Amino acid sequence: MADLSNAQTQGSSRLARFAIYALLALVCLYYLMPLFILLSTSLKTLDDIRTGNLLSLPKQITLEPWQQAWSSACIGVRCEGMSVYFWNSFRFVVPAVLLSTLIGAFNGYVLTMWRFRGSEFFFAALMIGCFIPFQVVLLPMARTLGALGISNTVTGLIFVHVIYGVAFTTLFFRNYYISIPDELVKAAKIEGAGFLRIFWRIILPLSTPIIVVSIIWQFTQIWNDFLFGVVFSTGDRQPVTVALNNLVNTSTGVIAYNVNMAAAIIAALPTLFVYIVAGKYFVRGLTAGAVKG
Amino acid sequence: MGALSIRNVRKSYGTTEVLKGINLEVEEGEFLILVGPSGCGKSTLLSMIAGLDSITSGEVHIGGRMVNKLSPKDRDIAMVFQSYALYPNMTVRQNISFGLEIRKVAKPEREKIIAQVAQILQMEPLLDRKPSQLSGGQRQRVAMGRAIARNPTLFLFDEPLSNLDAKLRVEMRTEIKLLHKRVGKTIVYVTHDQIEAMTLGDKIAVMKAGEVMQFGTPQQIYDNPANLFVAGFMGSPSMNFIQCEVVTQNNALGIKIETGGQTHIVPTNNAALADYVGKQIIVGIRPEMITHKIDSQGDTRHFYVFDSHIEIAEPTGADTLLMITINNKVVVCRVHPDHARKQDERMSLMFDMSKTVYFDPLTELRIA
Repeated sequence: MADLSNAQTQGSSRLARFAIYALLALVCLYYLMPLFILLSTSLKTLDDIRTGNLLSLPKQITLEPWQQAWSSACIGVRCEGMSVYFWNSFRFVVPAVLLSTLIGAFNGYVLTMWRFRGSEFFFAALMIGCFIPFQVVLLPMARTLGALGISNTVTGLIFVHVIYGVAFTTLFFRNYYISIPDELVKAAKIEGAGFLRIFWRIILPLSTPIIVVSIIWQFTQIWNDFLFGVVFSTGDRQPVTVALNNLVNTSTGVIAYNVNMAAAIIAALPTLFVYIVAGKYFVRGLTAGAVKG
Repeated sequence: MGALSIRNVRKSYGTTEVLKGINLEVEEGEFLILVGPSGCGKSTLLSMIAGLDSITSGEVHIGGRMVNKLSPKDRDIAMVFQSYALYPNMTVRQNISFGLEIRKVAKPEREKIIAQVAQILQMEPLLDRKPSQLSGGQRQRVAMGRAIARNPTLFLFDEPLSNLDAKLRVEMRTEIKLLHKRVGKTIVYVTHDQIEAMTLGDKIAVMKAGEVMQFGTPQQIYDNPANLFVAGFMGSPSMNFIQCEVVTQNNALGIKIETGGQTHIVPTNNAALADYVGKQIIVGIRPEMITHKIDSQGDTRHFYVFDSHIEIAEPTGADTLLMITINNKVVVCRVHPDHARKQDERMSLMFDMSKTVYFDPLTELRIA
């Protein structure tokens, strides 16, 4: 009897397992399909695209569209491909990510280890910053950039992204630091370490997981941003996302789907790369606060 | 000029007063224990000595210097925390050397100090490990090493043993006592464990609700508790409190007790009880003062033997604890296992009344 019911539960659990895997496979397929179409179309010739259908594999693999997308496709009036804009993006994304992460770490440190009168209010105000949509800040930001004399510059774009990102990075670091026992800071204070030394020598070295989280998050956000890019930069200073949009909209008769697809993948590659390299730290970092060191 | 002097120190958060005027004097080289239940303000007081917390009013002097306005680093103190507070990203060596670096001690000197400290605490093999690779006891030892390396006037310990398991706690307790003997520095030690307090302290301050209930040597506090709280808090198993009526018999004072179905009048020559004739008082008697009948050649004036019914017997190995009922209250007696009778049997128990203390039931203060 016991054996029978045992066998039954075993059977039903196997069925449940199968259902779970089937569902997962379906979801995977659903998410991977666009990537597959993107990739396969980018490797087709234009003739191939015309004659075949969306899902068919390329008859003959060609790297020509990739070449064009990178260095000779026309974006607006310039026919130099995505490469210029690709490096443009790097030029402001890297400093913006590093700066916003550092400022976030510093804010988090102050908000947890050196609480002051009104620090809770300050934190709440910063939190609201996470919910402010991009569109709302466009006009005031344009005026601010003008007043600072950095409109339409790389510095200006870095400034915008740092300001916008600090709300998120502060939240990350503050929530991470709240799990670090404050006796650590007290011990360092008694030994004579000051505000900055405690930050550099003790708190920051403990922050690797959350730094990785912040970098991934900020990199994805800033790299993928379109709105700030299109509003606060012009011409050959524009980021890759804006260039991609312009590339697709620049019509010269026939729409070169394969070139567009290749360009889209080029624009997405850095974020993909960051996720693959640092992805496991991302999950680890997000859950790290739960485990006491 | 004491090593530490705390004068009328008060602390309030808003309208709540957590320390209500603390006065303590500690001599050079003494081991002071602050003991009390959670929330009595002992850790707050320690934080204030360290300078991690501000003082609302009053003065703290360390080594003859008023330190109220000095920051922690200038108070010449070292502190050992409950969570050890070792820097997780540094090795043991770096943990010890961190404070020395900040005080700009030259490298060769640092190396020397680290070697000394490691030798005192026998942790040379651990120097290059990270705190995460150490056991609880080892971490505690490193935390103490860090404090010793500082060579301060005053050591502060904040419940350093409460994260350790029972066996290790006893070992580390001995080690701290040895350390105090060897280093000879003044120590202020916070604990909620009255056994730690008794075994380690030269002086004990028993605290409750932001006040010092009693300040004295361990033996003074054990034998002469100032009030009901101190009497009940110190000692394990704790002191028996029996409500009794004060009576006069043949012109002598006595207290009335009822046990084993019989009523006895125990004479007492304590004149202070005269005011309480006909009233109830609380009689405090420690469990070890109630034991089996001993034929003593010494002074037997304070010994009284009563026949009692054993409700429960709890053998602990070294002693057997017997619960009897006196005046409808369970009373614990500490009897040698060879002489203890079994549960539900009757037994003659000898009461040594020489160290009995009496409390007023309303004020809870000691009468005599």
